[in-house]
Amino acid sequence: MTVPRVGEVNARARPIAPARRWWRARPSDAMIRVASVLVVLGIWELFGPLLNPIILRPPSQIVRAFADLIANGELGVAMVQSMRVFGAGLAIALAAGITLGIVSGRSRVIYNVLDPWISALYSVPSVALVPLIAVAFQYSGDAPRVATVVLFAIFPILINTQQGVRNVDPGLLEVARAFNTSERRLWGDVIVPAAMPFILAGIRLAIGRALIGMIIAEFLVGLAGLGYLIIVYQNTFRIDKMFVPVIVVAAFGIALMGLVQFVESRVAPWTRREQ
Amino acid sequence: MNRIVVEGATKRFGSGALTVFDGLELAIHDSETLCILGPSGCGKTTLLRCMHGLAHLDGGRIVIDDLEVRAPRRNVAMVFQHFGLMPWKRVSENVAYGVELAGLERQTIDQRVLRYTEMVGLTGFERSYPYQLSGGMQQRAGLARALALEPDILLMDEPFGSLDAQTREILQDELLRILQTPGVRGGGAPSTVVFITHSIEEAIALGDRIVVLTARPARVRDTILVDIPRPRTVASVVAHPRFVELRDHCWRLLRERLVA
Ligand SMILES: Nc1ncnc2c1ncn2[C@@H]1O[C@H](COP(=O)(O)OP(=O)(O)OP(=O)(O)O)[C@@H](O)[C@H]1O
Ligand SMILES: [Mg+2]
Repeated sequence: MTVPRVGEVNARARPIAPARRWWRARPSDAMIRVASVLVVLGIWELFGPLLNPIILRPPSQIVRAFADLIANGELGVAMVQSMRVFGAGLAIALAAGITLGIVSGRSRVIYNVLDPWISALYSVPSVALVPLIAVAFQYSGDAPRVATVVLFAIFPILINTQQGVRNVDPGLLEVARAFNTSERRLWGDVIVPAAMPFILAGIRLAIGRALIGMIIAEFLVGLAGLGYLIIVYQNTFRIDKMFVPVIVVAAFGIALMGLVQFVESRVAPWTRREQ
Repeated sequence: MNRIVVEGATKRFGSGALTVFDGLELAIHDSETLCILGPSGCGKTTLLRCMHGLAHLDGGRIVIDDLEVRAPRRNVAMVFQHFGLMPWKRVSENVAYGVELAGLERQTIDQRVLRYTEMVGLTGFERSYPYQLSGGMQQRAGLARALALEPDILLMDEPFGSLDAQTREILQDELLRILQTPGVRGGGAPSTVVFITHSIEEAIALGDRIVVLTARPARVRDTILVDIPRPRTVASVVAHPRFVELRDHCWRLLRERLVA
């Protein structure tokens, strides 16, 4: 696949300019992105405090707050608490969501048993159910926060898996039958791989929602984690420190998305038609 | 000797609203290639699915080797019009699919994959995914997957129907060559072939006999003996003096139905 496609050739074909001035040089995408961040941070650093010294703490102060929170261990403790809840909640949501999605995608009866509940729970904004979870788990330990993460994350993965399984090409199911595929091999050979792009997209959505669920649970339910740090520093007006967990959560979300994209490209190479 | 016998087969869809065929009678002899020609929508695919036990009759029965067909059998293999390759399996894995399910030993499976990938001319593409292959190559893989089972009976549903004319002719020649290879035809598998097609030329080139079906509900309009000797190639068949007569005969049978 080393032959360039037509579009690529055109995109790369540049006029051969004898001496290119720097302002005419075409900057790469990455350069534009880095420049954008640097310029905004610079403006923020110089002019932010003039506009609103309490809220717009300059980036240099946030960096110092970062160092402080790492040094005194607060950030580390909060991260461990958050990750524990996030990891457990996401794992449960994925395991349960994929399993329920597959069985309800294959069995009409199970689909009809589950669908009213899924529709009802999914149409209520998940946040509205968090106080109920808090009471049900008596505000104790990680459990209510894990449950909140599960509540936020399970529906996209469940519904996506279900749709993936229901949309398996009937032609391929017939091929499988024509070659005497057992029910067990049918799952592994046909149904799960066919649903895989849907499942992976569901995982990506679930991760995003699990992060939201984690922060909301920490706001509303537990006295722990990065979300709780945000609330604490909000209440004490330490806005510079408040930015620290926000940035950590953002970085974590971006890293996870990158990981999922990497896994997607590995797990389902046949979906990469264009490359 | 009859290999496949269709006795008074009746098939309806839509709780009886659509009668695809009603009391259809057909016999496929041992070691012959029978081509089934019929207008679009007359029920050819449905008939083949019933022969393989993928769909069930509403009346009558289909008997293969003296046993009524109820489910797909190990000694019968099918090639699909839509190729039916698993997009997530490489060519070698797709070719291995049927034999793996047949529960053969790993070593035998590997030998078969090697042998039939080569036979259909896909050597060098074992590690490709279907999307990386042209339509013709995909159907070669579909053919290899069926042949790898070393079946006694090969059921082919318009296997070259979606290919361009040139690719189609190349694959017709390859199929003729494969079926005429000693040790494949007669000396084991697959000896008996049921080949569904829209194309009169294809039916004459490949078939020992041609069954022409009428529009729905499908009946056998006529059975034609293709008295052109083997070994054949598409070119040799077209050049044969009988070819034009046979083609015109088939044309008349199909057109009669259109006019009537
Ligand atoms: N599973 C099904 N449910 C309902 N109707 C069906 C089903 N399968 C086929 N039919 C109908 O039965 C008739 C025969 O279909 P079939 O696919 O067997 O025709 P065909 O001769 O193979 O046509 P073609 O030459 O276009 O492939 C068509 O009218 C089709 O709509
Ligand atoms: Mg058909």
